[in-house]
Amino acid sequence: MQSERFKAPWLKLYLALVFILMYLPIAYLIIYSFNRGATMTAFTGFSWQHYLDMFNDLRLMQILVNTLIIALLSALLATIIGTFGALLIYQMKRTGIKNIFLSLNNILLVSPDVIIGASFLILFTMVGFQLGFGSVLMAHIAFSIPIVVLMVLPRFHDMDTTLIDAAYDLGANRWQVLSRVILPYAWPGILAGFFMAITYSLDDFAVTFFVTGNGFSTLSVEIYSRARQGVDLSINALSALLFVLSLMLVVVYYFIATGVATRSSKKAGHGQLKVVDPQ
Amino acid sequence: MGAIIEFKGVALTYGATEVLKAINLTIEPGKFYTLLGPSGSGKTTILRLMAGFLQPSAGNILFEGQQINTVPPEKRKVNTVFQNYALFPNLNVYDNVAFGMTIKGKSPAEKAAKVDEMLHLVKLDGYGQWEISELSGGQQQRVAIARALANEPEVLLLDEPLSALDYKLRKEMQRELRSIQQRLGITFIFVTHDQEEALAMSDWIFVMNDGKIVQNGSPVDIYDEPINHFVADFIGESNIIPGVMKKDYLVSFLGRDFENVDGGMRPNEPVEVVLRPEDLDIVSEEAGKLVVTIDDQSFRGDYYEISAHDDDLNQWQIQATNPVEIGQRAGLYFDPEDIHIMRLHEDEAAFDARIEQYVEDEQDEN
Repeated sequence: MQSERFKAPWLKLYLALVFILMYLPIAYLIIYSFNRGATMTAFTGFSWQHYLDMFNDLRLMQILVNTLIIALLSALLATIIGTFGALLIYQMKRTGIKNIFLSLNNILLVSPDVIIGASFLILFTMVGFQLGFGSVLMAHIAFSIPIVVLMVLPRFHDMDTTLIDAAYDLGANRWQVLSRVILPYAWPGILAGFFMAITYSLDDFAVTFFVTGNGFSTLSVEIYSRARQGVDLSINALSALLFVLSLMLVVVYYFIATGVATRSSKKAGHGQLKVVDPQ
Repeated sequence: MGAIIEFKGVALTYGATEVLKAINLTIEPGKFYTLLGPSGSGKTTILRLMAGFLQPSAGNILFEGQQINTVPPEKRKVNTVFQNYALFPNLNVYDNVAFGMTIKGKSPAEKAAKVDEMLHLVKLDGYGQWEISELSGGQQQRVAIARALANEPEVLLLDEPLSALDYKLRKEMQRELRSIQQRLGITFIFVTHDQEEALAMSDWIFVMNDGKIVQNGSPVDIYDEPINHFVADFIGESNIIPGVMKKDYLVSFLGRDFENVDGGMRPNEPVEVVLRPEDLDIVSEEAGKLVVTIDDQSFRGDYYEISAHDDDLNQWQIQATNPVEIGQRAGLYFDPEDIHIMRLHEDEAAFDARIEQYVEDEQDEN
């Protein structure tokens, strides 16, 4: 029944329309990044000119590197902090307190970026913290932690607690139980949380806009300020580059995630050739 | 031989609920013990106390004479086979079995030798590189046993390990567990609610009910001399009839006197009489000691399970090799030694003392 229904031709058409609608603006942007002319009014021929302009723009390249460093570093730290936070929430015995912490976590997740950004700005200026790399990094770590917690916590809850008993029973101490049983079990969730944190950091505009100082900027903020001054097709080129970059990120995540799953079956398949089932 | 594990008045309470009530037991090395009881009787709680996952609210647990009430599980010389196996899904068979040795920092060569030995013991040679998810339930069970035994425990605790297996596999694993225990010569403590399993495997059975040990003894003792209604009913099927012990070796029930082999009770003491279904023979009406009417029968492969009622409308369960006719009147025959007598509200100590006393009397007479 299920498969029959999905074979309906109008459903395929619907799906195609949705995807065209989603990707049309990006495709439009990317196509014009190869335009010979300097505007998006008409496509006058193919050229790499805007890409050359972009790579020659040292300020833009510096900002690109900054953005990547912020993304990787904030995702890494947020994953570590978020994983241990999730562990603490998981181990809470009283459900009331547990729910309070979970709600506090989720509120951060749904509250508007503008409010988070503004409150960070107020905080940093109040304590006299220099706006720049450090403030952006801290803000990114802060808004990435809730998403990591949300990705990791279900894995902990999913885990059979007798695994922990079994590890203790076999002589493991608390640290060994954590490092050899609990964290490996939660690994797919931790990985997903890490990649989500990277994407959150890469595309954040609102929070970053509030906490960047004079000398420091990220791509989203830079593109925004340039777009205000007038359309420059090297921004199209940069967008195309970022699109390819995020595509690669998805592919890498896909291979890591499926790699965790298929590693086992490959090994087992290898064993099956040599071993005769005793039963 | 001295005791390896002793419980002295061990009790466990959660708030107002008494899970265990002053348990006393002694475990000797090298034997196969079973804790048998219905769910909620406290048998798994005893196992968790032995493993160190729980601490007693009162009383002492001794291991080789040392009090170990608060010693954590990782420092005890016991290992557990869990009901759901609890194998680590991120590790393969080899690393699961080697887990305890890896924790202790044993050399790779030592680990490899031990893992091979253990996998051979549970008949999983060559399965080292398999992932847990690729194994059947029975194979996972074997890995769990190998993993626990690789730690060279002095006592192996098994928490209903066979309950998830199908009938045939369960029978096979019962035999194998028994032979592994005999080969290694270490103590096994096995928890089950399956009386057949307990009778088949154990050297010694503790029957538990409601947080207490109701009776303990060898399988034959417990089957033949159940202490009370609960044990008689729980261990095998029983016909239990109220009766009166007129004097030694003479019991009266259903309005008639029967010769039996029990004694040591007050004259005319009210008792319960147990007759096992397999001890009853169906004979002609005239030859029978009792007369019943057959209600129903069902074929069980190696015997017929027959239910019947007597003229006082008591239900009877009988096992017979030959089929009978439903509605037919038939006689029931049994020997004096088939009659088991249970006193009402007799505790285990008094029961043991009486049995001992009466066995001595019997020997004196002979």
